[in-house]
Amino acid sequence: MRYKSQAVAYWYFAVAMVLFGLQIVFGLLSAAKYLGPDPLLYILPFDVTKVIHTNLLIVWVLTGFMGATYWLVPEESRTELHSVKLAYWQLILWTLMGVTAVIGYLFRYGTGNKLLEQPLPHKIVIVVVMLMFLYNIGMTIKKAGRLTTTEGVLILGLALSAVLYLPALLHYENYTISIFYRWWTIHLWVEGVWMMIMAGFLAYLLVRLSGVDREVMEKWLYVIVGLVFVAGILGTAHHYYWVGVPQYWLPIGGFFSALEPLALAAMAIYAYAAMRRSGLGHPNTLALHWTIGSAIFALFGAGLLGLAHTWPGVNKWTHGTLITAMHGHSAFYGAYAMIVMAMITYALPGLTHRRAGEDSSLGFWAFWLQVGGMFGMTLSFATAGIGQVYLERIMGMGYLDAQLKIQVHFLMLLATATVFTAGVMLFIYDFFRHRPNFQPDALVELAPGVAPLRDPV
Amino acid sequence: MNKRQSRTFAIVATGLAAVAFLGLTLHSHTRFGELTNAQDLTPEVIQGKEVWHKYNCINCHTLFGEGAYYAPDLTKITQHRSAAYLKAYMRDPSNFYDEQRHRRLMPTQDLSDKEIDDLIQFLDWVANVDNQGWPPRPILVAGATLAVAAQVGEPDAVGSAAVTPVRPDNDPRALGEHLFRTVTPGCTACHSLQPGVRLAGPSMAGMTTRAEQMFAGGAYTGGASDLEGYIRESIVAPSAHLVAGEMFSAGGTSFMPTTYADTLSEEQIDQLVAYIASLK
Repeated sequence: MRYKSQAVAYWYFAVAMVLFGLQIVFGLLSAAKYLGPDPLLYILPFDVTKVIHTNLLIVWVLTGFMGATYWLVPEESRTELHSVKLAYWQLILWTLMGVTAVIGYLFRYGTGNKLLEQPLPHKIVIVVVMLMFLYNIGMTIKKAGRLTTTEGVLILGLALSAVLYLPALLHYENYTISIFYRWWTIHLWVEGVWMMIMAGFLAYLLVRLSGVDREVMEKWLYVIVGLVFVAGILGTAHHYYWVGVPQYWLPIGGFFSALEPLALAAMAIYAYAAMRRSGLGHPNTLALHWTIGSAIFALFGAGLLGLAHTWPGVNKWTHGTLITAMHGHSAFYGAYAMIVMAMITYALPGLTHRRAGEDSSLGFWAFWLQVGGMFGMTLSFATAGIGQVYLERIMGMGYLDAQLKIQVHFLMLLATATVFTAGVMLFIYDFFRHRPNFQPDALVELAPGVAPLRDPV
Repeated sequence: MNKRQSRTFAIVATGLAAVAFLGLTLHSHTRFGELTNAQDLTPEVIQGKEVWHKYNCINCHTLFGEGAYYAPDLTKITQHRSAAYLKAYMRDPSNFYDEQRHRRLMPTQDLSDKEIDDLIQFLDWVANVDNQGWPPRPILVAGATLAVAAQVGEPDAVGSAAVTPVRPDNDPRALGEHLFRTVTPGCTACHSLQPGVRLAGPSMAGMTTRAEQMFAGGAYTGGASDLEGYIRESIVAPSAHLVAGEMFSAGGTSFMPTTYADTLSEEQIDQLVAYIASLK
């Protein structure tokens, strides 16, 4: 690392890793319950393990985003952070919020609004933390007087994430209207502003790892952002199918969400082209794997598997089945979990006693086990979901009986999830096995042929 | 395209999409009241929504197909199950489903009677929201059903070689079979046609034989004197004679909906009776 204050990123990443591990524990528990009968029926029922699984995902990914931003902004703006102390207080407050929310969920203390189950005091803390974060980043950039396009896209994405969380604080008596605005937060996060964040990190990583021309990358970054919003904003309509809104949301949802893969395809092509043009010059090939992997897996999970059931005529039959779980798992993993792991893998040699590219076979095992495991889980959800759609929705077999017929796919889910878990545990072990080292880099430490100190602008 | 042009594209594209989205949102607000029957949002319905949230129902079930996929969709549940059934079910689900058989069971939730009543009111409000005709076919909790026979001229007729369409001049039993599968609340949601397949209500297989035995054995408590009369009575006044079983009734009241006397015409009830009486 070049700036001393980038060290805060390490602690954000460390918290993210612990929460990621916990998320997977609750995911495995939830998957095991599909096989049943459930010995924990009155201790940890499915609704509790599931709500913890999804909430931990959101918390750890956001922790990763914040850590990665604290790593990236000093480098892009070429200055120390405005306040390291504020960054640590922010992390403490955020972690306390996350941990107490999870403990609360164990006792069903939550608001029961899917993905926005956080109780009101926690929601307020989330807003406060977001403000602390944006203030700290904003002041850093102001002090430096230098804002790159990559950084600008990233910061705008983070700021809009905070703004879009505000509808989650409102309360509606009409369930349909509450669904309508719930998606302003969730959909416009994951298919809008989080994509901006992802594209920002992707551009940063590609510039650093492949040394491609920053001007070219940033030009395409704008194109990607434009595509994300053209499709993403009106694509919200695919969440308005069958919930009691006017009919016209159906064709609008079909058309615009069919365009959503374009931005993801652009990102994948952009990443691949950047890698091809420059050759694999950077010693941190593991970070490059995560970067390119994220772009490709996001195209597959978020783009193509989303497209597979987004057309109203198809969605009419698949809506509310395991087909949605197929898309949800691969999309979140590819677009967000992988981009955070790419940033961590890229930053880690600068934050610990290890060198880029050194001793990374464990890291590669973690990468391939995770990617293979998640691909298998996606297929398991897909086959289970297809079975469910045909038996339950088309043939008219009752839900419980149809679920019995697709048990074999739940076995496959558990097996592939175990492979995935092994990859996650290796990644976490690999993260913690080197002692942190917060000395700013000296020039001599750099591997030959790489110049992260010479900014490509 | 240079960097400036690409930036302009991003800003203009985002701006246009946002304006269109906000405009449609405003328009949607003018329609929500009518589509969701906002006049029916009584304090009980709103309380029921709070119960739905308080007990974290959405992290197992789906409503409008949204939620988790570990338990059945409940969008139209009040059209498949009577309030009496749902109340008894909520007090102890294990009386109704066997965890060993289905490998899943809903844990008992300890809701107060008021909470249960409000929740059912809320679910009934949900069932009546105009949600673009979803689901296209009923989503049942358990059991199996056969394809729905389509009525000729029905706009959503499901085309299938295995299904014989019906016309108004068909045999009353054929018309009754069609009604059995298509009325609301749906008969097939609770009554199977297969021997031994017990859903929320008794199987219809062999019901005429059982009814004859019942008449002969003197166990009958209703007011009918013959088989057709008994079937008619079961449809319009389900509590007149109760079939034994904890999952069929409680406190002398059958769980079967009591709405058919109002929602079906005399002719339709005759057709249903004719059909059910043919099930040996």
